[in-house]
Amino acid sequence: MEMTVEQKGDVSVVNVHADHLDASVSEEFKREMAPLLEEHRYILLDMGQLRFVDSAGLGAILSCLRKSGSTGGDLKLCNLAKPVRASFEIARMHRIMDILSTEEDGLQAFSR
Amino acid sequence: MIEPQELRDLIRQKVRYMLGESGDSLTPDHLFQAIALAIRDRLVDGMLGTQERYAQQNAKRLYYLSLEFLIGRSLGNSLNNLDIMEICREAVEPFGVDLEDALEAESDAALGNGGLGRLAACFLDSLATLGMPGFGYGINYEYGLFRQEIDNGYQVEKPDNWRAYGTPWQIEHPSEAVFVPLYGRIEHSLDRHGHYNPMWMDWKVLIGVPADMPVVGYGGKTINYLRLYSARSSQDFDMNIFNMGDYIKAVEMKISSETISKVLYPSDAVVQGRELRLIQEYFLVACALRDIIRVYQTDHEDFSEFADYVAMQMNDTHPALMVAELMRFFIDEEEMYWDDAWKITQAVLGYTNHTLMPEALEKWPMSLFEHVLPRHLQIILEINSRFMESAEATRPGDNEFLSRLSLIEEGPEKKVRMANLAIVGSHSVNGVSALHSNLLKTTLAADFVTMFPDRFNNKTNGVTQRRWLLSANPRLSRLITDTIGPEWITNLAALRGLETFISDAAFQEAFRDAKYANKQRLAKRIKELLRVNVSPDALFDIQVKRMHEYKRQLLNLIHIVHLYLTIVEDGQTLETPRVVVFAGKAAPGYWAAKHIIKLINSVASTINADKRVGDQLKVCFIPDYRVSLAEIIIPAANLSEQISTAGTEASGTGNMKFQLNGALTIGTLDGANVEIKEEVGDENIFIFGLQTPEVQRMQMERSYQPWQYLEDPRISRIMAVIAGGRFSPKEPSLFRGIHDSIMGGDPYFLLADLGSYIETQADAARQYNDSDLWTRKSIINVARSGKFSSDRTISDYAADIWHIEPFID
Repeated sequence: MEMTVEQKGDVSVVNVHADHLDASVSEEFKREMAPLLEEHRYILLDMGQLRFVDSAGLGAILSCLRKSGSTGGDLKLCNLAKPVRASFEIARMHRIMDILSTEEDGLQAFSR
Repeated sequence: MIEPQELRDLIRQKVRYMLGESGDSLTPDHLFQAIALAIRDRLVDGMLGTQERYAQQNAKRLYYLSLEFLIGRSLGNSLNNLDIMEICREAVEPFGVDLEDALEAESDAALGNGGLGRLAACFLDSLATLGMPGFGYGINYEYGLFRQEIDNGYQVEKPDNWRAYGTPWQIEHPSEAVFVPLYGRIEHSLDRHGHYNPMWMDWKVLIGVPADMPVVGYGGKTINYLRLYSARSSQDFDMNIFNMGDYIKAVEMKISSETISKVLYPSDAVVQGRELRLIQEYFLVACALRDIIRVYQTDHEDFSEFADYVAMQMNDTHPALMVAELMRFFIDEEEMYWDDAWKITQAVLGYTNHTLMPEALEKWPMSLFEHVLPRHLQIILEINSRFMESAEATRPGDNEFLSRLSLIEEGPEKKVRMANLAIVGSHSVNGVSALHSNLLKTTLAADFVTMFPDRFNNKTNGVTQRRWLLSANPRLSRLITDTIGPEWITNLAALRGLETFISDAAFQEAFRDAKYANKQRLAKRIKELLRVNVSPDALFDIQVKRMHEYKRQLLNLIHIVHLYLTIVEDGQTLETPRVVVFAGKAAPGYWAAKHIIKLINSVASTINADKRVGDQLKVCFIPDYRVSLAEIIIPAANLSEQISTAGTEASGTGNMKFQLNGALTIGTLDGANVEIKEEVGDENIFIFGLQTPEVQRMQMERSYQPWQYLEDPRISRIMAVIAGGRFSPKEPSLFRGIHDSIMGGDPYFLLADLGSYIETQADAARQYNDSDLWTRKSIINVARSGKFSSDRTISDYAADIWHIEPFID
């Protein structure tokens, strides 16, 4: 799974270059995210290319959120397509993490 | 209005470009497909036009949720409703295939078991005819209700792969597919504000793909749709599972997902407590809600007006999960407060109860719920907790009251009571006949009436006269229209105009001729299917409905045995030759009902072969009862059997169809029979048997003693013959079990009603011999059937419950 990182001030914008985050790739996602979580305190995950996230994908993101929180960092999401956002809402994960419409909103959320 | 040549050209095009045929030698099936495809374009135009009209008017919409829609064939119905049947007949002449044969080539869409499913189909017809924005939501079962074959007198079930070769009526919309989560677990967490946040994780995903079937209102001005969902595994899911390398497992998982919409559960009036059924119910509800929200959100920013623009009716408790699903959506996804969500949910939902029989009430083990729908279970428990608080405040300290009301039934295995959930979650709860709605309030729902006195109402069932008279009985329809004009087609009350012609000799003769021709048609079908000759001059005495002990096909059969014995043992001649027709399916697991089918066939074989009986009495069990067969059988009836034990049949709708077609009813004061009697008058119906209060008293006192009825020598003789093997000489004890069920603890009081039934049948037979009298009474029945149009029923629902209006150009 390809991910690119762009530093914008304190925030590392991680772009996920995949169209699905589900059972087949969730472990790989966690493995790719692990060093990024250690290196970067504030991560904004740009989900713009994803068109499908299932519960395994949600579980992987949850695990990243917790890892980030445990070291005093934070993980936020932006650019979710409607069906992807729906998955988060079904799981009520939007109540425990910030999900922003655009990258700009996401960066602003970190500065608050 | 399309011209015959234009339609002919369209059909020719479809033959060539859709079917790949030259048109030189078409089969009836080719012609059916081509006609359907030719008119389908118009139907699509009509559907889209109707949708635009509703959108422009910002119409409030009604969504009718049902696990069953017993549609039958669609081509004839559509041609009639578009008023182009004769145009089509002319259009297809050059193709060398009769239109009737093409119409016969269509398979029934049997996505339902019986009355409940057929009611849903009649309702869609009426909604469209009345120009109301009403849509059906259901499941696109690949296999409908099983085909019934009879082998050695026994029912044998065969699969009904109704769209094996496709259907011209469905338009798939893959772009509007929705995803449905299932299973999983709840992870307990706190949200950002420190509040409890239950997260529904690790669910599996099903995809629901919709296909729309057009529903043509009479006149063609309004064409609504029935949206049916098929279950698929997600494409992504497929690709990735396959990529993971276990090909066989991938195929198994894909098949497992798609099983959800594979087959209709074939039980009528009895609960199937299987996990797959629960998943089907949730699948429908989840798909429907996503789609309803999609439509709503095209015009609305938030959900503050949801109840002003959306009404949903739950057809029985099968879609009752909508209560929990609405709450889940509003609270989990839209972050609403509980009270606001609950207010909207109740304002949107209505619930129709169809039965008081305990075995038909859905109760799901809590453990199953926890496994399949953990978040919904949490929500239901919360609904219950709040409801119990309110109940406690109403009757402090009355634990029995609370226990009866609770959505959770306590016991070794706790269960979720879906009827209680549906009642609590709706602003309206209705029964389906005056008698039933009253019984609902005084028995099953009595405690809920205490809590919500204004919530309960009655909406007597109805049937669409377009299918059940116009289409099924063209001869009678033509006579009626020639006599009083066509208004009855959209306003059944106009049939009252026939009362002027009750004693008109010419009208009477034409009426009799129409009935006779229908009887000839049925006689021909009986000959084709059963190789039995029946005379159209005989009294056609017909009982066609699902096989069930409460409907008492057995009572009818006992009467037949009585008639047989009077001929062969008493040497009597029947005053009135009679043909008794049965048809109906038994649920595959319902041993007792299947045994009754065997007994009917055994009695039929014996009687039909007995030369001493000759043409006095014939008995026929016509296999594979379905809508298209009903359309042949019902118009041919003289006597309509509606003989359930009083208090068991919530309404019936077959009773209304027979009345509409000029049959006289012999029946108990049960369900809508009560209202039929009110409409036609005591002298124009044959009522017999115990009434509901007497049945209830005997039940409470446990005072029914079948053995005491053996004092009547007629009855003791009949029972001896059934038990003794007269109808099963090779297996003499075959029907001993039926004998024993009648004689010991029979909850349906057959013998208590038998004496009265025999007398009333004799009276009916005598009256049949007076042709003028019978004809007059038949005309009166037709003339006074206006109340039982589903147009009236839908108008009542629309005014009282849904608050929707017609939108006609």
